[in-house]
Amino acid sequence: MTDSYDIAVIGAGPAGMSAAITASNAGARVVVLDDKPQAGGQIYRHVTDSPLADTALLGTDYTKGADLVAEFNACRAEKITAANVWHVDESGEVLFSQAGASASLTAREVVVSVGAMERPFPIPGWHLPGVMTAGSAQVMLKSDGLVREDAVFVGSGPLLYLIVAQYLRLGVKVKALVDTTPKQNYLAASHLLPGAFGHLSVLTKGLGLLNEIRQAGVPVYKYAEDLNIRGALKAEALSFTSKGVQHELTAEHIFLHQGVIPNLNMTRAIGVEHSWNQQQLSWQPQTNDWGQTSVQHIAVAGDGRGIIGADAAQLSGQLVAWQQLARLGLISAADAANHSQPLQQKLKSYQGLRRFIDRLYQPMDALRKPFRPETMVCRCEEQTQGQLRAAFDQGARLPDELKGLTRCGMGPCQGRQCGHIVSELLAEWQGCEVEEVGYYRLRSPMRLINLTELARFQPHHQTARTEVKL
Amino acid sequence: MNAQAGKSKASVIIIGGGIQGCSTAYQLAKRGIDVLVLEKDRVARHASGVNAGGVRLLGRDIAEVPLSNVSMQRWQTLDDELDADTGFRRRSLINIAADEADIQTLQKRQDVMHQQCYFHETMIDQQELRERLPHVADYCVGGVVSETDGYAIPYKSTFAFRQAAARLGANFVEGQQVQQLRRVGNSWLVETVAGRYEAEYLVNCAGAWADQVAVMMGDNCPMTYSAPMLMITTRMPHFATPVVGAVSRPLSFKQFENGTVLIGGGAKGFADRANNKTRLDYAKLAAGASNAVDFFPIMRTATVNRMWAGLEAYMPDNLPVISASVNSPNAFHAFGFSAHGFQLGPVVGEVMADLITRTHSDFDLSAFRVDRFERKVL
Repeated sequence: MTDSYDIAVIGAGPAGMSAAITASNAGARVVVLDDKPQAGGQIYRHVTDSPLADTALLGTDYTKGADLVAEFNACRAEKITAANVWHVDESGEVLFSQAGASASLTAREVVVSVGAMERPFPIPGWHLPGVMTAGSAQVMLKSDGLVREDAVFVGSGPLLYLIVAQYLRLGVKVKALVDTTPKQNYLAASHLLPGAFGHLSVLTKGLGLLNEIRQAGVPVYKYAEDLNIRGALKAEALSFTSKGVQHELTAEHIFLHQGVIPNLNMTRAIGVEHSWNQQQLSWQPQTNDWGQTSVQHIAVAGDGRGIIGADAAQLSGQLVAWQQLARLGLISAADAANHSQPLQQKLKSYQGLRRFIDRLYQPMDALRKPFRPETMVCRCEEQTQGQLRAAFDQGARLPDELKGLTRCGMGPCQGRQCGHIVSELLAEWQGCEVEEVGYYRLRSPMRLINLTELARFQPHHQTARTEVKL
Repeated sequence: MNAQAGKSKASVIIIGGGIQGCSTAYQLAKRGIDVLVLEKDRVARHASGVNAGGVRLLGRDIAEVPLSNVSMQRWQTLDDELDADTGFRRRSLINIAADEADIQTLQKRQDVMHQQCYFHETMIDQQELRERLPHVADYCVGGVVSETDGYAIPYKSTFAFRQAAARLGANFVEGQQVQQLRRVGNSWLVETVAGRYEAEYLVNCAGAWADQVAVMMGDNCPMTYSAPMLMITTRMPHFATPVVGAVSRPLSFKQFENGTVLIGGGAKGFADRANNKTRLDYAKLAAGASNAVDFFPIMRTATVNRMWAGLEAYMPDNLPVISASVNSPNAFHAFGFSAHGFQLGPVVGEVMADLITRTHSDFDLSAFRVDRFERKVL
């Protein structure tokens, strides 16, 4: 392994793999760092070595990833797997932890393609053991073949329906699907439907999933609201109203999901400018059409720069690669433009579908901005909405000020979970735009790092220093 | 809570909303003075909000001991005084001697302190060191302790001064970077990026930007700025009650009540003052991590959660400027605390208020004059 590259790609999901394939095929010296043992990202996790006997049960949107993973594995880019990147410098220095030791490399250009994370779902009881995100349930399924019987799935959005369907196809009993998509969303989204017709197959696939779930006999409760997870030490039941009727389902396993948002900790810690996306109700890095951020040499591809889905993420990975090849002088600007134009057009064609999906599955205010004082917001530091409100009443106006008074966002997750909630709550309490409130100032490291490992670390450009006694 | 637009006059304008500025505002407001604080970013945005929180009398420069002593008394009852939670905990502070050379250093220091009739620093032997810090490495031979010392939460402390000041009528306006200072008649005119203000007196508490403000007041001084770095671990089992320093190694750490351990020690990152930014020097942080596991083997398994740096002002002698302006009337300075000003916050507010309302302080401030580096050119 050398330690200097043209391009460093962080994250080997659809966007990162595509960027690496495109750039390395064109002759760039590319390195890809990924925190998993195999490439694929969240969506194509373990697609080439599934613990399941029949991966076809998970659907073609999953299995089609096998080709991309194979192409990526065959490409000339250097792959560093099971590597946790804990710092990316504006200068292109990348520090990462692998097998208990930290190392560094430098690159002229960096692609951050770290994808999405599930949107936090802060309802009463969401911090109790037994409550997980549906995405985590899917990770257990894809990587270990683990499932939970009699779970209640709660929320809204295509991924939720897909995971329920995957469970059912494996013969796992599902207790209920509690759908929080508000009735008014269907109306509000209906006028956007024509714009999504270009991707009819995606739409019909979504309808197919719902039919599949209903036909399997799973109770589906629509328009659910007033959600409350009950339990003293662990989840025991979910109560809610559906179409005006009160329900209470006993359940030890409750899987929540209300869509995904960009995973921002890396771009935030690098210092990239971000803006609030009102359509997706989430922060995203500001980029140009190719994915270049406000920080020189740092680009973002895939869902990490706004949710676009796996297929579009692949296109955005290629776009970033063409741009960086031109920036590196490996191809001409004209070549880059020629390669980019069809990709840009294809990407645009996804916008209509995205607008429709975003509007239809827009999570309710009550499920993003907890209104009951006892609802937990920061699970690491156990800060409730009421405690945050008290700090606000004392004068905290910005996320960092709230953090300073309450420790909200200072735990091991570095505010990944509570960041969006805090921005939106502060904006609501002040009656201003989320953008005026901003987000936490994020600190290094981007991943937790062991102190002994840090003690042994020597950045590559440093001359040898005195022996560390351990 | 901010001053409303239109409130542009005050008796005293303080430039800088760090702990010195907020403490000064509190003391002035307490004396019934109409005071306005102009902060270029947000209150406690820089060093005052993100420092190590050390509340330390131990190991102070002799010139600072009288101030630090009084400040330490204030800290013991500060929560009641300000009616707020500053997070202050009296935990004692131990500087560890790693070898006999360190003991010699401590012995010499003790002689000097005793000659001056200061008895707050007590040397301890290896056995007592181990009793107070059971997890210290075997080779450490002793140390020195100050019982009144401890830590506070910097952001909460600065915020507490601000809120107490505001309750007494002090005004705070944020987002006001000073661009120009002028004397017109008996007034100071202050022009910021966002407004114009006027006052009889000015106080420069601008921290890492204070030399720029000083120049606008007519005083030159050789202040520099830097970015001392810190790191904090995730929660660990309780293993250290006292705050810990070392006699001759760059180590300081404290375990908070929630189990997290803050590791400092003065290693400096890169300071980009113009852009309000700092960058970390990971080689130096690695050296700090190595010192921590070296002195406390239990920390080998610790997990680092955050690393950061704040922008701080330094003077060549590492002593602050606490002084009237030498070239302008009705102007005062409190800056250049060289990474140990947090503990002095409570007393500095009193001193500045004395300088303004009584025209003198009972403390000998000669070591802190703004012009102490002026030399005749021969």
